[in-house]
Parts: sequence; structure tokens; C-alpha cells
Amino acid sequence: MKLETILKQRFGYASFRPGQKEVITSVLSGKSTVAMLPTGTGKSLCYQLPGYLLEGQVIIISPLLSLMQDQAEQLMLNGEKKVIAFNSFLTHEEKKQSLMNLSKYKFIFISPEMLHFEAVLNRLKKLKIALFVVDEAHCISQWGYDFRPDYLKLGEIRKQLGRPLTMALTATATPEVKEDIKKSLYITSSNEFIFSVDRPNISLKVEHLSSYREKNERLVELTKRLQGPGIIYFSSKKMAEQTAEHLKKHGIGRVMSYHGGMSQENRILVQQQFIHGQLDLICATSAFGMGINKENIRYVIHFHMPLQMESYLQEIGRAGRDGDNSIAIFLYAPGDEQLPYQLAESEVPDGIQLDWIKGWLKENKGVLANLSQYEEQIRLLSGLTETQWRVFEDSFHRKYKMGLEIERIFDEMKTYNQIRLESKRQSIEEVYRWISINKCRRQHILSHFNEKKTEVIENCCDICGLEFNFFTQKNNKENQENLLYDWKNHLQALLIPGE
Amino acid sequence: MKRAYLQIIILYCLKKLQGQRTIYSILHLLNGKKSSQTIQDAHLFQLTRLFKTFEQLSRDELDRYTEDMERQSWISNNEIGHYTITPEGERILQDVLLKCPLPTSLNGWKHHKSTDVFWGRLSLLVQVISHLNNHHTKYLPVQKKTSIHKWLKSFLLTSGSARNEVGIILYKELLKCFEGLCDISPAVLTLRLTGHNRIGLTAEQAAEQLGLGLAYYRIQFLAALHYLMECVGRNPGSFPLMDKVLSGLDESIPLTLSTEKTYNLLNQGLSIDEIAKIRRLKRSTIEDHVVELALNVSGFDITPYVSNNIQESILHAAHRSNSRQLKHIRQLIPQAEYFEIRLVLARFGEGK
Ligand SMILES: [Zn+2]
Repeated sequence: MKLETILKQRFGYASFRPGQKEVITSVLSGKSTVAMLPTGTGKSLCYQLPGYLLEGQVIIISPLLSLMQDQAEQLMLNGEKKVIAFNSFLTHEEKKQSLMNLSKYKFIFISPEMLHFEAVLNRLKKLKIALFVVDEAHCISQWGYDFRPDYLKLGEIRKQLGRPLTMALTATATPEVKEDIKKSLYITSSNEFIFSVDRPNISLKVEHLSSYREKNERLVELTKRLQGPGIIYFSSKKMAEQTAEHLKKHGIGRVMSYHGGMSQENRILVQQQFIHGQLDLICATSAFGMGINKENIRYVIHFHMPLQMESYLQEIGRAGRDGDNSIAIFLYAPGDEQLPYQLAESEVPDGIQLDWIKGWLKENKGVLANLSQYEEQIRLLSGLTETQWRVFEDSFHRKYKMGLEIERIFDEMKTYNQIRLESKRQSIEEVYRWISINKCRRQHILSHFNEKKTEVIENCCDICGLEFNFFTQKNNKENQENLLYDWKNHLQALLIPGE
Repeated sequence: MKRAYLQIIILYCLKKLQGQRTIYSILHLLNGKKSSQTIQDAHLFQLTRLFKTFEQLSRDELDRYTEDMERQSWISNNEIGHYTITPEGERILQDVLLKCPLPTSLNGWKHHKSTDVFWGRLSLLVQVISHLNNHHTKYLPVQKKTSIHKWLKSFLLTSGSARNEVGIILYKELLKCFEGLCDISPAVLTLRLTGHNRIGLTAEQAAEQLGLGLAYYRIQFLAALHYLMECVGRNPGSFPLMDKVLSGLDESIPLTLSTEKTYNLLNQGLSIDEIAKIRRLKRSTIEDHVVELALNVSGFDITPYVSNNIQESILHAAHRSNSRQLKHIRQLIPQAEYFEIRLVLARFGEGK
């Protein structure tokens, strides 16, 4: 059967997006594949479609619970019943149940920390694994912007599973990160596909403003004029909430905030309202957008500075999936770079915290072998955040198993943390440089990924020149729907079948 | 004023408590804490309808509301943690409750176990019907709990109605039910419903659209659900479909685990003192359990603990003093123990 026929039958699409067919053909030929596909090009189809042609299970390792949940749901929406998202959302009973019946599923999403459990791994070993998918594979690299220690063990697990056919997917990876991915996963021979990170239909604009207040005022102006739907990204939940309120007060009607602190029910509702066009604007943290299939987002605004170009590209990549013209606007005021520096520092334990833990461990040598049992205590006393703890525990555990002395372990950790912090600082500086340059912004991004700008793009960026009116609202439509709410009519529309 | 409806509820509770409990007993009440003390207080001070109506209220928020009310002289502080309402507070409370009364159908205690599940089932059922009507099979369910999905599956299999008729019947039953709902607009519920091409609003959005503060909206939302449950529960024959939505929901009042243990030992014929000794608990704790049993177990006989004579004089005194304050009643019949008074009030008090 032709791939296009399956695409039409199973997924309802008439044609592949750039890159998809190449990647799919590659794994179907039995070759492990590393693919870098820009956000918004339908990465997940690359493993979903082969799933229907290969015998056995598709295992998908995914770093974020919410992302995993979204992807599993997407498949179910498509009518696929044999899907399971195996993560800490499941109750103990549900876990046990699904573990017993693992072979009944076709697509098994699993979080990396679940793979630590012997019982889970043993079950997986009994399966016939058709395809081992590592999503967001850049998380494996310590030089990637989103390093997750759990991911480091994936290579070992892949070995234990008998080195199944593997697909590593990522949206953004520099050449060194790509090499790291292959090395860590023990992929010796593979096909590689690198598709341009460039999204020519997204125009890039940086606006320099003089203060925080001016940024707020500009936001009102922009959201009044720009053609929606749109997303504004913030680094803080509170700011996302406050700004949504602020915009409402200034007459922007259909806006809501979205962040990880909301209840699950509200998150679903807001997300669905946006997808169904009941909202024009979302004030969000980075929790919003992963796995959301909305084709017609026309603008993405950044109110805070992201920590690296990679995540910036991911976030603006949510605009213009339908291929139509869209714009990404970056609002910068002097001093904005302070927040990302602080965020970066909060991700890495500092020297004082490490000294304190060292002292405590020397006094309590008995706990060394099973440190994880003392997580609460150590975190409480040292003030490590959850992320900091994960990174700490993982590297301590590895070094301790190697038989290193405590002194030595902590010295190495300190040096390593210094390097990591330095690399985070460099990433932030990279973003800062990008804001400050007076050459083509697209060219600059592409060179970061060792690419060259080849085509001439209309409305490329604010440096090359762009026509702002191109992105403003064409027709001012007033929404009357809310004023005329009648509960009986609504109930009738919901429950009584139409003609 | 709209914003501060939760403050008014706290004020209302303070008035009822008459300075006899600390401010944090209100936190436990509104959060729905399942301790003997909280449950007994709710009954003793006639606050059962507010049980578990604000699960999310935090200690900090309560402190802030309290400080604010004290600053405005709505309440005054007598001993640490104990407040009484001032005449100014009384005036405000009356004023607000006149304009925004507590809905009559609100009954937190009776329905606290089943309200969430009932809403989960109802909202998912409506969504599924709406999509069935429009021949849609791809949509994201608004409810994620597997237990609710399992219920829906078996409901659709056993409803006995043709699929295209379920919606019509549900529509008619809801309309009939809502007819008798006079102090709340059914819109508080319907705005939240999701269906084909129209996603329901969040609580915050619905409150905004109805021009209500979030706390007052929440009270109305709960009261509307309680109303539906009550309406169907009283007359299941008239609402056969809604009755199925309610089926299997546990409305019976649960005992705390510790009380359950005491109950077992009482049933084996042990005395309060013996149980206290075996369980290594204070006598007063076991007494609390017995009071809880008197409140929640229908037919629980209290004569082994209070003689019929004393029961009568306590009831008489309570009636005469027109007070639920133990102190006042005790003044009238000094021969009665506090435990005996509590037990009698629990047995014959509110709702009995
Ligand atoms: Zn340019």
C-alpha cells in the first residue's frame, strides 16, 4: 500500500508535510533514524504511521507528562484505541492492570522515570518492539537546553531491550547535540535527517521599549490591532494571569490565561475554547502549546526573555501551521535579561547548598546507599528545588557507584555545575545578542544551527523590513454571542438532535 | 461587595458560632474536614449546609479575611482566635444576605460525597449526547476520571432508551426539574456544559458572564446541583433518566475511621471507659465518637448514656433557653453532664 493511501485513510491528510515521508521511509527500511524536524511540522506522525505497518509495539519515550498525555489523546481522538500513556498519572491499580496487558497495546507512551522500575522493564523485554521512539531527544544531551538526567539512562535501556529499531526526534539540535544523541543511545549506524529550522511564513520582529510599563501599554495596542488568534508567552504564572486581566480591562474581550497551576478541568476547557475559536488570545507560560493542534495561530508575542534560542523557536513555531503568514513579536526593555539569569541560576544548586549537603552526608554516612529515601529531608534542609534535586541525586548516585570519595564527588559536581551554569549564561547571551543585532534576524538564527538563508523572504524581519499592516485585523467583528445567552436554547442545542 | 461573598460566609459562620469556637473551626467546616469535632460543630451550630463548600480555602486567606473584618469593625476579638460579630457586622451581614441570600437548596453536608461525581457524570453525559447527535466521534472529553467514563459506558448500554432519544428525555427531565428552582438561574450550570462546537466555560468565566463574584457563583453552582439531586431523589419515578445518573452515588454519611472502631466495640457491649482503656484514648475522645454516632446513625440508642428523665429535662431546658450554648443549658440543669447535653442535642437537634 502506498504511504499516501494510509495517510489519507488513517489520518485524513491528503499529503505529507516536508520531511515526514523521508523519515517514515527510513525507519520502514529498518534503519535507525535521527530526525530534526522543526516545530509545527507534525513530528508525531513520523512514528504513528509506521506503527500501522510494523509488527509489534511502538514505545514512545516522552519527557513531559502533559506532552505525553496530549499525544496519547491525539491518537485516541484519531480513533486508535490501543494507546496507553504509562506514567505517574495512573493509579497504582491502573498501572498494575495495564502492565499485565501491555502486549494488547500498539502505542505505549512511557515516561523515562517509569523505566527505572524492574517490573516495567521486564515487561517491556517480553514485547516485540517494532519501534523505539525517543521524543524530544535533545533532552539526552547535557549540552541541550533541556537536559534531563533520566534521559541519560535510555541508552542502557535500549541495550537491555536488544537494541530495537530506533527513532530519535527533536525540533532543535545543534550539531554537537545531535552527536550526543547518537552516542548516548548507542546508535552506531543510522540515517539522519536535518530539516531547516526555518519557518519562512513566520515574520520576526523585535521591539525595543524603554520600560516594563511601556511593554504593558504596547501589549494592549498590539492585541487590539493584530489579527488573531494569538499567544503571549510569559515566564511567570502570575504575570500571565495579571496580564489577561489587564487586557480584559482594556477591552480585549476573549482572552484567558493558561498555566500549569490551573486545575486539569480548567486547562482542558481553556485549551478547547481556544481551539474552537471561542477565545482569541491566550496569556500563557511555556506549559501551553505542546501538543496543541491549532493551525491558524497568527501571532506569538514574547513578553519575557526565553532562556535560549531553541525554546524561543519552539514557541514561535506554534504560529502559522496552516502555512499562512504569521508574526512573532519579541518585546524587550532594558534589564529584561535579569529574569532569565535568575531562572537559570535557580536550576543549578549553588556551592553553599552543596557544601551543606556534603556536611550532612558526612555526618549521616548510613544514608549514602539509598539517598532517594531522604529526598524530603535533604531538600527541606538544603532548599534544593525539585529539578535541582533530580540533577543532584542522579549524578551523586552515578559517582558513588563508581566508588568515588565524598570530597571528590562534590568537587566534581561543583566544577560541573559551574560549567552548566556557564553554558546557560551563554545561551541567554545568545538570545540577548539576537535582540541587539542589526542584521537579518532569520540569518542569525539559521547560522546558530549551521544553516544558511537561501531564499528571499517577504516581510522577513524588522531589520530586513516588514509591513506591520500586513498582520493587522482585516475586519472588526464584534462578538454578540455572550450577550444573548439563553440557557434553555443552549440546553436544547446540546441535547436535541438537529434536523 | 461581590468579591467578598466568602467573607460574608465567614461572618455568617462567626455569628452562628457565637464566639464558642476558634476561627479555624470555620476553615475545617468550609474545607470539609472529616473530624468528629468539625462534624459535631456543624450540627451543633446549624452550619451543615456550608460543609465542604470551599475546599480550596487556605488558612492564609481566612486570616486575611478575618483581619480585614476586624479592621472594619465587623467583628471583635475576645480571646485569641475567638471572634464575635459586632452590631456593624450584623448590619452588613443582613444587608448582603438580603441582596444575595444563601440559596435554599444548598446542603453541603448531605451531598458532599456525591456532588463532584454527579457533576462529572452529568457534564460528560451531555457532551457525549451532543456529539452523538452530531455524529461526531472525535472529541476531547471534559472529564478525565476513568471511573466516570466507566459509568457512562454502562449507562449507555443499560439506559433502555434509543440513543437518539436519550438527549430528548434528559432535556425534558432537566427542564421539568429546573421549573421548581426559583432562587437560582439554571444558567449557572448550563454555561459550564460542553458540547459539539461549543466548549463550556470555566467557573471564573461563568461568574464573570453572570456578573457574580466567584464565591457567590460557586455557592449557586453547588446549590443548583444539590437542588437537582434533591429533586430527583424525592421523586425518582418522575425522573427515570436522571435517577440513573444519581444511581450508586453514596449519599450515606460516613463515619470517621476511629468512630467506626468505637462503634464496633460498643456493639460488643463494652462501656465507654472500657473502650477508652482498650484503645488508649481519652474518655472525652470516645465521648466525641458517641456523639458522632448519635448524629449519623439513625436509630442509635442514647438511653444507655443518658437516662430518659435527663433527656427530657435537657430538651425542656434547650427549648426554654432558646439556646444551643451548652453553658446556658447546663445552668438550667446542673445535674446534667456536658456529654449528656451534647448527646441529646445531637439526637434531637437540627434535621431530626
Ligand atoms: Zn531578515
